[in-house]
Amino acid sequence: MNETVRNKRSRIHRQSAGDIVFRILNDTFFILFTLICIFPFYYLLINTISDNELVRIGAVNWYPRGIHFNNYIALLRVNDLAVSALVTVARTVLGTSLMVLTSAFVGYLVTKKAMFGRKVIYRMIVITMYFNAGLIPWYLNMSMLGLTNNFWGYIIPGILSPFNIILVKTYMESIPAELEESATMDGAGYFAVFRNIMLPLSKPILATIAVFGAVGHWNSFTDSIILMLGEPKLYTLQHRLYIYLNKNSNLGAIMTTGQVDQNMINASLNQRTISLTVSMITIIPILLVYPFMQRYFQKGLMLGAVKG
Amino acid sequence: MEQKLAENVERAEPVKNIENRYGKVSDVLMILLRILIIAVVAGLFIPYINPVRLSGAISKNASLFTCAFSYSAIGSNFVRALYKGWIDQGTLTTTYIGALIDGIAAAALAAAACMSLGESRLRRLGTWISICASAVGIAGTVLLRLTYNGFAVTDHPNKIKPMLPTGIYVYGTLFTVVFLLSVAALLTMPKPPPGARYEMQPKYRLFLMILPFIILVVVFSYLPLYGWRYAFFDYKPGSDLTSENFVGFKWLRYLFGNAATRADIVRVLKNTFAMSGIGIVTSWLPMAFAIFLTEIPSNRTKRLIQTFTTIPNFISWVLVYTVAFAFFSTEGFMNSVLINLGVKQKGTNYLMSGDHIWLKMWLWGTWKGLGWGSIIYISSISNIDPQLYEAATVDGAGRFKKMWHVTVPGLLPTFFVMLLMSIANILSNGMDQYLVFYNAANRKTIQVLDLYVYQLGLASSSTNIPLATLIGMLKSLVSVTLLFTANRISGRIRGQSII
Repeated sequence: MNETVRNKRSRIHRQSAGDIVFRILNDTFFILFTLICIFPFYYLLINTISDNELVRIGAVNWYPRGIHFNNYIALLRVNDLAVSALVTVARTVLGTSLMVLTSAFVGYLVTKKAMFGRKVIYRMIVITMYFNAGLIPWYLNMSMLGLTNNFWGYIIPGILSPFNIILVKTYMESIPAELEESATMDGAGYFAVFRNIMLPLSKPILATIAVFGAVGHWNSFTDSIILMLGEPKLYTLQHRLYIYLNKNSNLGAIMTTGQVDQNMINASLNQRTISLTVSMITIIPILLVYPFMQRYFQKGLMLGAVKG
Repeated sequence: MEQKLAENVERAEPVKNIENRYGKVSDVLMILLRILIIAVVAGLFIPYINPVRLSGAISKNASLFTCAFSYSAIGSNFVRALYKGWIDQGTLTTTYIGALIDGIAAAALAAAACMSLGESRLRRLGTWISICASAVGIAGTVLLRLTYNGFAVTDHPNKIKPMLPTGIYVYGTLFTVVFLLSVAALLTMPKPPPGARYEMQPKYRLFLMILPFIILVVVFSYLPLYGWRYAFFDYKPGSDLTSENFVGFKWLRYLFGNAATRADIVRVLKNTFAMSGIGIVTSWLPMAFAIFLTEIPSNRTKRLIQTFTTIPNFISWVLVYTVAFAFFSTEGFMNSVLINLGVKQKGTNYLMSGDHIWLKMWLWGTWKGLGWGSIIYISSISNIDPQLYEAATVDGAGRFKKMWHVTVPGLLPTFFVMLLMSIANILSNGMDQYLVFYNAANRKTIQVLDLYVYQLGLASSSTNIPLATLIGMLKSLVSVTLLFTANRISGRIRGQSII
């Protein structure tokens, strides 16, 4: 803030040709880069609401032509897609809430110096961030536990997140100890203190990890590809999109339910249209929630920046 | 305050004042007891020592836990046998009852072990429960032994395959020893003082509260390490790990000896290092982005730019590929515009090319991550002391001199940490990005180590699980070494380690 004022002052006093050139170049770069970041989404949007034949030959570039919304209506009725959407929403809600609660509770417990074996336990948890056994052993392990082709395979491995536990722990250590002490002196046990004091006070950091957790669940597709090969009903939205993007798939393969939806025929869907519409369906929730998520990043990153 | 509370509880504990000469013996017995109970509970999940497997027709992957949990783990393979009268339904039901009894006994023992961490009265109760539970466990195991006879009298032994599994002896011994130890512990335990309550010291209470989560960590992060043993066998999916197909370091020799595999690995490593390398060499970009962003005077513009440039970070790589598909395929934006401008006659599919893959992957990575990566530097810049800038202005420093002499040094610590972490993770490019962009045309240059291991182990028609496991194992070991080296370097140079 101070620097901006200072810059303004120095600019007002010493606005040279060099300064003007720099400002033009700088502003141009940032405007260009921002446009590059946004334009793709605009392009996807106009292509999904434009006439499908024009989209197929790639004629829709700068503005929508022949606006209609049938693509969305038709695709939201496709059974496979609806099931995948349901699976993804369920795992996002369930997985994120469990992860946040666990991280909060474990983060709280780890701050209690009285715990038996606390140092060893903490180190055990943190080490898993830096060292993993590898993809194949992880898969074999999940298979042995019966979590392949099983909805819980999405949720249970993600419950314990060492990084988030560290974030919560660091945050809770900065909460003044007097608040806890006064509660303990009134006879509150650990769980009561956690529920009534620590949890409400930690809302900022919990919101941050909730946001990252939710986005992670919503966007996940590698675990769908690796774990759920035998159970197409459990594919996530992104996995479905990945399938639709595959050049070998055609309309027939996509409609695996066997029902020929009249809407789809009317809407004259083609591969390009389908891929773009499905991707918009997955992006729109994120774009809608995004403005609200924004303020948690800054805080969360600064809180986490201590540990790198 | 916590410490004081803990000490208060200890001081209130009168048992320590009553010097009962059996106190120490009891303590040792309790420790032994807890260890054995851990063995009992752990063994619940190990199929090899399942005491319920009285017949070869029961799946060899069934553990005591699975059998106690549901009857179908026992009965599912006997439908035909029942129909044909080779075996009695009663035998199967009794088997299930035996499994249930043993399972419940093990669960009660687990509860008893938790209680044993309590103070005198709670500990005593725990020991009593241990005695009863182990007795019940003995009864259950004996029942299973008797049920064996029901299997043994079948007139079709080659179908029913009756057997006395190792588990019967293991659990029989375990339950008996636990029983004896519990009795001994109870007898040597000092009596609780009158008026003592059921309570537990805070340190053990906290430990028990976190125990379920530790178990979760162990099961999902440490247990997979046991999967490393697959690298030493000649394993094909569906077969067993037996002493016959133990091949020791064969796969290691194969990795370095077989010319085709060696060439593959060298190529994959080249890709991995190239792409990680480009990332490392350009890792100053987010810092520069942040520095130049702060040069923009309007705060509102800055915030707007930040908002929009971080959006690509929140979409998945599948979506990034969709964007690539929408823009660079034959009917995509690029071709369309170029054809309309008359620059091209026909569209080309830019995605189906193997040229400059490393560059392209880096560009996509930058598009996705630049805005996001700069956030941490932007926060750091706001923490730089404004007086430094004032001093620089007084010294006649212009914009760029200020950047170089004030801002950059202020960001250098953060940058250094990021750089070290990237170097430590040089082998781990991740899989998502490269999986979605992978196709037949760019196969040779896009395969990074993670993708290669995935395809080798799970995705191709001729998977080689031992080799994939071995490569993953080596990668983990190298990564950890790199990380600790980086940590040590950081400690030496900055006086502060990153872990």
